[in-house]
Formats: sequence, structure tokens, C-alpha cells
Amino acid sequence: MANVDVAGIHRPAGTLDAAGALRPYGGPWNERLAAHLMRRAGFGGSPDEIRAMAAMSPAEAVGSLIHFPSTANMPQPADVFDPVAYLRGQFGNQRPADMTEDQKRERNKGLRMQERQSVLALQAWWLDRMLNSPAPLQEKMALYFHGHFTSAAIQKGVTPPMVLAQNQLFRSNALGNLRELTRGVSKDPAMLIYLDNALNVATHPNENYARELMELFTLGVDHYTENDVRESARAWSGWTVFRRTGEAGFVGTRHDDGTKTFLGKTGNFNGDDIVDIIFEQPQAATFFAGSLLNYFVYNDPEPALVDAVAALIRKHDFELAPVMSTLLRSDVFFSERAYRALVKSPAEFVVGAHKALGLTTLDPTAQRGMNQMGQILFYPPNVAGWPGGQNWVTSQMVIARQNYVAGLVNSQVMAQSSWLPSVPMTAGPAAAALIASILQGDASPLATAQLASYLNGASESALGMLSGENRDERVRGAAYLTMAMPAFQLA
Amino acid sequence: MQRTSFLLGALSGITVVANADHIFAQALAASPLPGLPGGANRTLLLINLQGGNDGLNCVVPHGNPDYYRVRPSLAIGRDQVLAIDAQLGFNPQMRALKALYDKGSVAVVQGVGYPDPDHSHFRSTEIWQTAAPDKYLHTGWLGRYMDEAGLPADNLFNGVALSQVLPEVMVATKTDVPAIPSERGYGLISDRNAASRATYTQVVRDARQPFSSPYLSHVMEIEDHSQRGSQELPKLIAGYKPAGAYPATALGRSLSLAAQIVGSKLGTKVIYVQHGSFDTHVSQVQTQNRLLGEFSDAIAAFYADLAAHGSDGDVLTMTFSEFGRRIEENGSRGTDHGEASPLFLIGGNVKGGMYGASPDLSNTSNGNVRFGTDFRSVYATVLERWLGKPSQKILSGTFPTLPVLA
Repeated sequence: MANVDVAGIHRPAGTLDAAGALRPYGGPWNERLAAHLMRRAGFGGSPDEIRAMAAMSPAEAVGSLIHFPSTANMPQPADVFDPVAYLRGQFGNQRPADMTEDQKRERNKGLRMQERQSVLALQAWWLDRMLNSPAPLQEKMALYFHGHFTSAAIQKGVTPPMVLAQNQLFRSNALGNLRELTRGVSKDPAMLIYLDNALNVATHPNENYARELMELFTLGVDHYTENDVRESARAWSGWTVFRRTGEAGFVGTRHDDGTKTFLGKTGNFNGDDIVDIIFEQPQAATFFAGSLLNYFVYNDPEPALVDAVAALIRKHDFELAPVMSTLLRSDVFFSERAYRALVKSPAEFVVGAHKALGLTTLDPTAQRGMNQMGQILFYPPNVAGWPGGQNWVTSQMVIARQNYVAGLVNSQVMAQSSWLPSVPMTAGPAAAALIASILQGDASPLATAQLASYLNGASESALGMLSGENRDERVRGAAYLTMAMPAFQLA
Repeated sequence: MQRTSFLLGALSGITVVANADHIFAQALAASPLPGLPGGANRTLLLINLQGGNDGLNCVVPHGNPDYYRVRPSLAIGRDQVLAIDAQLGFNPQMRALKALYDKGSVAVVQGVGYPDPDHSHFRSTEIWQTAAPDKYLHTGWLGRYMDEAGLPADNLFNGVALSQVLPEVMVATKTDVPAIPSERGYGLISDRNAASRATYTQVVRDARQPFSSPYLSHVMEIEDHSQRGSQELPKLIAGYKPAGAYPATALGRSLSLAAQIVGSKLGTKVIYVQHGSFDTHVSQVQTQNRLLGEFSDAIAAFYADLAAHGSDGDVLTMTFSEFGRRIEENGSRGTDHGEASPLFLIGGNVKGGMYGASPDLSNTSNGNVRFGTDFRSVYATVLERWLGKPSQKILSGTFPTLPVLA
């Protein structure tokens, strides 16, 4: 593939202070910036969580996200459907060739349906983790990697256990070493299947993975030659996924043992060598610097800022914990230019709406809503992941976002909101509380006044001040309107 | 056994040299539409035959004995085919479309595809919609057309997708295309409450925000569009009454709405509709025949309605499908994912007839129909000869146009 376009990706106005960009932020610290940190390093915060974060120092706040508690005791997904085991159980060792047409039809129908349902359950499980994990940055990094080292479910035979295994790989390497993760994901069954490296044999090298590894995952277009792609494919030959177990493995007899010349080096390289050589290129750190800045700070970062982060990445030899720690504490991260400078992805929007309302139970329509907003977890649109930026904002996606929130504020789970029942009974203070808790004050004075007037029933035929009788309905309606405001669409 | 079309001949290959006609079209397109009649009211209706429409059972090579050999349980009998000539004919459910064909209003382009075909629904759909087989683009070819065409920024309906989700083909950077699943299904739930509607209108439009963001103005603009558009559309199209009944199918309802939009002259240049699923791995005949019948009947009702309103010349319809299907049937009375397939151009300035080489069932691409016409040649033709725009920038390359449009 030649390249990926960046239509609709915008850099903030103003000028970068490149020299001081990565200095630890030393300005005023408040709930507004604590919420900013939680939106970027997680999926937003409930009013209580934001208050707690604002009560720490910026260093402590970032430290609490980086040095997160163990999540080993969080619930594991139940009953992940394994077609490999299913086929062994249902059909013994019968080979497809020995089956009747009816048996095959029955088998395929059952398989597909159960696989889809299992992936749906995994989506709900992941969304619940985004909402409730004590390590939100771990989940955010997993989502970042899911869009970066993309693989899609079911297509080509990626099974639900493989989807889960890849997701766990991203989670367990959330703040680990990028080189190690790249090695790991190269040998991950979902990736081996999704990008055809499982079919790569010495006699017929398949270049799909070899190309995307450099183009989309580590270097970017124009930093390698077609010959590098071919030589890398030879080095990766022999890797496969065993259909009977669903596990990845290396078959020496299918590997090309000859000498390869890759990115200027010559030797009998294997896949691990390829990753090592890629990460020796200065461009690898530059590439990840741009990618991390785009995802966590602002879009289309200036080359000087990219260079500064790339130097940081090289200094820490691709270890993410110190890199993310510096980035999330930096002046540029807390600058007004970075503030609300990204468009929320549907995952950030949906989980963030739950957080803002103080909900810990996922609304059952969340996945359907995300589907209409254009993001289906485990089904990225293509190997380039989700485009982001302005691409998340079309009339259809905005209607989907607003209608989702309109449904959420009237759903059963709203009964559990941690703070809406205690919103003041007077319209003005109630509007101010909603704008403060949901938007950290990011609304115009006029919009706040209009929200108050809505709470007081101003444009209704039967005028009625906010009262015990209409309170529940009005506050829910006002919460919806607050989340419909422009600031809530932005991270 | 190979049938060469009476018009295309050498043009069906990928190695076509730009002909004089093509150069003329480019020169024409470079200047603002001289000589292209009715430019102002022209609309393209794009119909996605989603799932991979089997070309051989749609445009049936009933004169080819190989067809009956490779399709023992699926082949459509010679006595059933709606014959066009001794070689080809339409699927028996496509009577209405055959009638339009006989009137010269339908062109069939055979063997349309692209090099190194991808057999994944997702990727191949994306390739057709972005017109980019070798890169990942986030804008569609019609989105880029809208960006290039300089359409009025204040028109909320420059393009319309009659679907639940905005298809990639309509994604533009300068124009926002609403996705309208149905007249009733387009809009904000909260708009049903007058107080909420009034407040929403105000709170999303006040630009005096206590923060700045590179996306703020875009978000506000689209929030405004989505609400205004969904409130205005019903009023704008209320005056148009269909001249006749449409089939009671999803496609019938979509095309009825499309006719309302066209007839109400909203300045809509492109409309997207999808129909399917044609993914007939199992029991193909039943499913595909039903879908093709629905397609044929809805198209006939659509053009009859437009004709009664005097605007049948204003709409060119083009179909596409992400791929055709395997030449040999599978063991489940179905067919698996294939490669090239035929597409239809209907109405507008179409020069009816058969274009492109018929599928060669002996010289195949791993058992699939080899492509003879690059899909971007069809796009280039539509862009230059119907929409009146140079195609090179939109398609990132020069593709020869086909003589299929007047």
C-alpha cells in the first residue's frame, strides 16, 4: 500500500514553544486540567474522580496514571467462543472434505453466529474495563495500539480467542517497550492471519505483513524500499498459525534460510532481526513520536515537537513508561493549544458520557450507538485503523452521538448516577452545576443561561419553575443538552 | 468463447491509449461545462449492490455452453433468460429493466474490476468507494468530486446518502453529507420536544466559548447542519408527489425518497443508496433473483415517476458491487467471492447497449472473471461526461473514458 491520507486532521492555532515543550508543567493546577489529563490518559472522569485528581499535584496525578495498580483481579470475559474447540467437539476429527453439504452448512452457520456473539461480548467486556478499570491509561494504551497495530475480528479466520489474546497483549505491554511489543504483535495469531504472514513460506513469500510493519506500524512510507519489503518477507517466512490449535508457531522447513539485505544490513535474518534493524533506524522513534503526539496531545504536531519526543524515545530505548510520564506532565500537554484540541473517538465519547454522569454500569445500547458513530471495537475499517480528527464529525455521526446521549439520560442505568439527584433545585445553580461537572465550565455564559432557562421551563407551553415534580425529567434533559454542546465532542 | 462488444472493442483492456474522444472530454471538462446540456440539474444516483453481485446470473451468457457446465445447479435456463441477443440476456426477474434496455436507456459494462483484486468484502468495498486500490484514503471518490466541484457551502443537501451510516464514497472534506435512513429516521430524538429543540439550537451555536480548538468551528457547523437539515428536509420535499406507486421494498422506499429529492430541486448532485445482500454463498438463485427483481422494479418505478415530472433526463443511475462471484458454483448451491462483474448505467445521457468484453469462462483469474475495464474508467466517464469535472485529480490518475455517455 502506498500511503494514508490525513484529510481532516488539524493542528491547533498559535505557536509552539519548542524548547520548553517537554518541561514539567508548572502552572496553575485545577479540576479543568485534571479532567483534561483524565480524558487523554483515559476516558474522562466522574466529578468525584476529577476532584480527587485535582487534589493531587500534577506530578502525583500523572504518577498515579503511570504507576497503576494491578488489574489482574478484574473480571475476565466469560465463555469466549473457540471455533477450534467447537469443531473438535461437534465434529470430532471429521475433515470438511468428508462432510456432507448439510453438515458443512450447519457447521458454518453455527460458527459464524457464535463468533459474532462472542466478539460482541468481548466489546462489552472491554467497554466495561474502559469505564471501571483502576488503570485507565492501560485501557487507553490498548485502544491506541488497537488502532495502530490493527487486526480485525472474524475476517480471514481470526477467532474470538485470538481477538482477546491480542487485546491482552496490548494491555500487558501498555507501558512496556515498543520494540518488544512489535516483536510480540508480529507473532500474534490475529496479526499473523489478518496480514497474511501466516501464509508466508519460503517458496511463496507473502509481503503483506512485511510492508505494513514498516509503512503503518514503525517507519512510515518513503523510509524503506520495495526491496526491503521483499527481503523482510523472506525473513518472516515460516511463521504460521496452526489451525488445529489456533496457536502461532514457526516452521523451520518453510523458512528462507538465505542471506537477506535489509535496510542496508546483510545477514541470515529472521523476523526478530528485522524488528531490531527497524528500531535501529532513527525514523522509528520519529514515527512513534508523531503517532503518540497525534493521539495524546494534538493533531499534526510540529516537526520540532516530534523531534523532541523522538529524542526522548531514543533516550529511553523505546520504553513507554518514562516517555508517557514526561509527555503527560509536559508544558505542551497542559498548554491551551492542546486543550480540547482533539475530537473524541466514539469510545471516548460513550465511555466519557458514562463517566460524566457518574455511572459505573454500561448502558446496553452502547455498542449499537458506537456502531452508528463509526467505531466498532475489534472491527477497524482497515489496516490503517480509525482516521480520527474531523473524520469523526459528520452530520450522521453527530446525530448518532446526540441521539445516543438522549437515550442514555433516559435509560435505566441513569438511576445510579452518582450526582444528578443532588443537583440544586434552583435553575441557575443547577445549570452551573451541570456545566461544571460535565464540561468543567467549557460553555459560553449565554449557553449556561439558556440551560437555566430550559430548566425553568421557559420555552414550554405550560410554564413551570424547576420543582420536585418536573425535576427528574428536566435535569435529565439538561444533562443531554450539556453533552450536546461543542466542548463535549472534544477531548 | 468470447464475445466482443460492438462499441468498446479495444477499450475494454487496461492498456487503452487515450483516444481523441477522451482528450475532447478533458478539454470540455476543464472549461466550465460548455455544451453539456442540463448541467445544473444533473444528479448521479449511485446504487451499491452490496455483498458481491454474481454477474453471470445477472447478465447471463446463455449462448456459452461453458456457463451451463460450470453452473450445473445454478445456471439460468435458455428458456428463462430475457435474451438480448444469441449470447447474452438478463436474469428473468429483470423484466422491467429489460424494457428500459430495449428503449435504449440502459448500458451494461461487462467485466469491471481492478488489478490485484481483494476478496474481502470490507476492503474491496473500500477500494470501490475510495477509488484507491493501492492506498488507504479517508475520502470517497464522490466526496472528492463534491470538494472539487465548488458546490454552494450553504446547501445542506449537495450530496445525500440514503443509508443508516455514511458510506465512505460520500466522505468529503469540504462538504458534509447527511445520511438519511428514511425521512422519519433522520433527525435528533430530542427535537420531538419543543423546549429541548429550542435550547439545543441556541446552545450549539454560540461561538463565544471559553476555549479554542482547531475543531470547534467544524463541530459547531456540523451540529447546526444536522439539526437544521433534519428539520428542513421534510418541508423542502413535501411538495413533490410521486406520480405512481413504488414497490413496497426498502429499495422502493429509498428510490421514492430519491425522486422527491431530485424533483424538489435541492441542488443535490449525488445520491447514494444500497441494496442487498448479494453475498450468496448458499442457495443463490432464490436470493439473487429476488434482489435483482426488486432492483429492476424499483428502478422502473423511479424512472416512470421522474418521467411524469419531466426530470428523467436529470438522473444518471450507476450501480456497483464490491466484486463478482466465482465462476464455478460451490457445493451449497451458491458461489464464493470472485472478481470482475458487470455494472449498469441507466437514464441520463446513457447510450444504451452492451460495453466491455463478456466474461471469458476459459481464461480466468484463479477461477474468477478477469477484469477487462478498470472501474476508474467508468468513474472517469461519469465525472467528465455527466458531472462535468476533470477526473484526474479526483481519481489520482488518468483513466480513459468509455463512449457510454453522450
